[in-house]
Amino acid sequence: MKIIKIIFLFFIIPAMVLGALACQTLQSLTGPKATLEIAPAEIFLSPALIRKPVTFKGSGFQPKEMITVEMVLPSGLKMKGVKEGEDVGIAVGTSDENGNFTAAMQPTATLNWFFQVGWLPVVKPNFKEARPIPPGVYKINATGLDSDRVATSTLKIIPPPKKK
Amino acid sequence: MRKKCLIFLSIVLTICLGVITFSASSFAKEKSVSYLSLADYTGPIAGLNVPADMGLEDYIKEINAKGGVDGVKIKFIGIDTRYDVARAVSAYKRYRRTKRLLVANSISTGIGKAVARLIEKDRRLQIVPGDGEFQAHLQRTFIWGPAYQDAFAASLDWIMADWKAKGKSGVPVVGFVNWDNPYGREHLRGGKEYAEKLGIKLLPPEFFPPGTLKHDVYLTRLAKAGANYIHAGGVDPTPTNVIRDAYALGLTKKIQMTCGYWGPTALGIGVHAKALEGAVITSFYQRGEDSKKNKIVTDLWKKYRGSMNKFNEVYGMGMSWGMTYVAGLKSALKAVGYDKLKPDDMYNAYQNITGLDKHGIQGVCAYSPTSRRGSLEVKTYRVKNGKIIPITGWRNAPDAVSLHKF
Repeated sequence: MKIIKIIFLFFIIPAMVLGALACQTLQSLTGPKATLEIAPAEIFLSPALIRKPVTFKGSGFQPKEMITVEMVLPSGLKMKGVKEGEDVGIAVGTSDENGNFTAAMQPTATLNWFFQVGWLPVVKPNFKEARPIPPGVYKINATGLDSDRVATSTLKIIPPPKKK
Repeated sequence: MRKKCLIFLSIVLTICLGVITFSASSFAKEKSVSYLSLADYTGPIAGLNVPADMGLEDYIKEINAKGGVDGVKIKFIGIDTRYDVARAVSAYKRYRRTKRLLVANSISTGIGKAVARLIEKDRRLQIVPGDGEFQAHLQRTFIWGPAYQDAFAASLDWIMADWKAKGKSGVPVVGFVNWDNPYGREHLRGGKEYAEKLGIKLLPPEFFPPGTLKHDVYLTRLAKAGANYIHAGGVDPTPTNVIRDAYALGLTKKIQMTCGYWGPTALGIGVHAKALEGAVITSFYQRGEDSKKNKIVTDLWKKYRGSMNKFNEVYGMGMSWGMTYVAGLKSALKAVGYDKLKPDDMYNAYQNITGLDKHGIQGVCAYSPTSRRGSLEVKTYRVKNGKIIPITGWRNAPDAVSLHKF
């Protein structure tokens, strides 16, 4: 019984304390819960996304911190320029004094990560080489780069409507 | 029961200690530092970034093959951002906590500006192309050579000298055509003031969206306004294509085309040599024939890349980034040693390598506590018989940054 007490006091409790300190999830729980909204939450790939891009709106971040919005790539999905297992950044923003942010996908991001276009050396997208990402539900994370707070949502990409 | 429990615990502790000791000793054996390239390998400026990073990577391979810098090996981390700011910021987030990540290289001005905030926070340093603002407001962002406006001012100096050498009276009329983005406009933040100082008549600038295939409208407008010289911006092959259009319009017969340091390289010459004939390029790094004569550059290319057929002069510029990194690392190791080495030490070291010799690839290093310029010197070249030939020696570019209020 004494041994169990010793193990508990000298190993398990310190391990729990260390684990709790290292745990970013717990850290983020100490602040307000970060949220993320995506508008529209459901899209199909079309050139209209360049003029009217997907936008992200979040709250619960640290005031005035940079936020990176990343798309989590499902295993097996190959994306030009991205190594397997990496998330791809699709937008970037800065939170206001209340910890809220909005960010829109820039044309380069829409072209690179949704359409996966090729590029002509004159800085013009080459749609002949495009490999649009497949329809599906994609997990999107917004991370505060000072606080490490993470908010999560999903973006649904549906097949384009059939031409009549 | 108690005895068995104690034996079991002893075994577990022994295994744990063994694993920790083994890991620690294997880490101790390999001393390394990292370099992060937020690059463009498959995007719009891949044509120049790929050979530049080849030069850097080969230079690092060579250093590592010789045992590293005082026994410290350099890890090259190359990320394909495809010229996208969001991807670059996300990639920086992924690698920012890498132990002894000492330098990040941001391939575009936009990426550099976005990452700069994080660089400051992380007490690291980054290098970026040529935005003069980083010289105007000294922080942890260093530029590769002189600022864009400095090089443009040097082009204006050459234009004045050329005008006088041709025995012309009055002052030349200069047109400026560039990408419609912060990079394109940066040249004029100080460059415009320098033109006024020289008495040059600078026409209202023409800006076109990146991706423009034909530039006739802009060129024709400048020609009609009486331009004697037109300075074409963009990153090669864009300036090559602007000059191609000027040639097709017959403008190059009476208007001298000039370019800044992203003007025609082997990339453009290989396709439009005839149209480029006579074009003038002001550069902070060796171009064309100069670069092909630089043995340090060509030996490394041949060793790692083979035939010179696909050689591009920006390979040398990549080597120059490597030389700076190695010199900085040597200085930082000397100051604090490997165990205490932090990114901030590299930042301090970069300010103390003033005068570092770049083996002719570019002028000596000008980084200092008061300078973020990679070098001060530029050289002017002309396309002649399909080759890029030097027409001046190295000379200091004017400080145009200081003429502008940022």
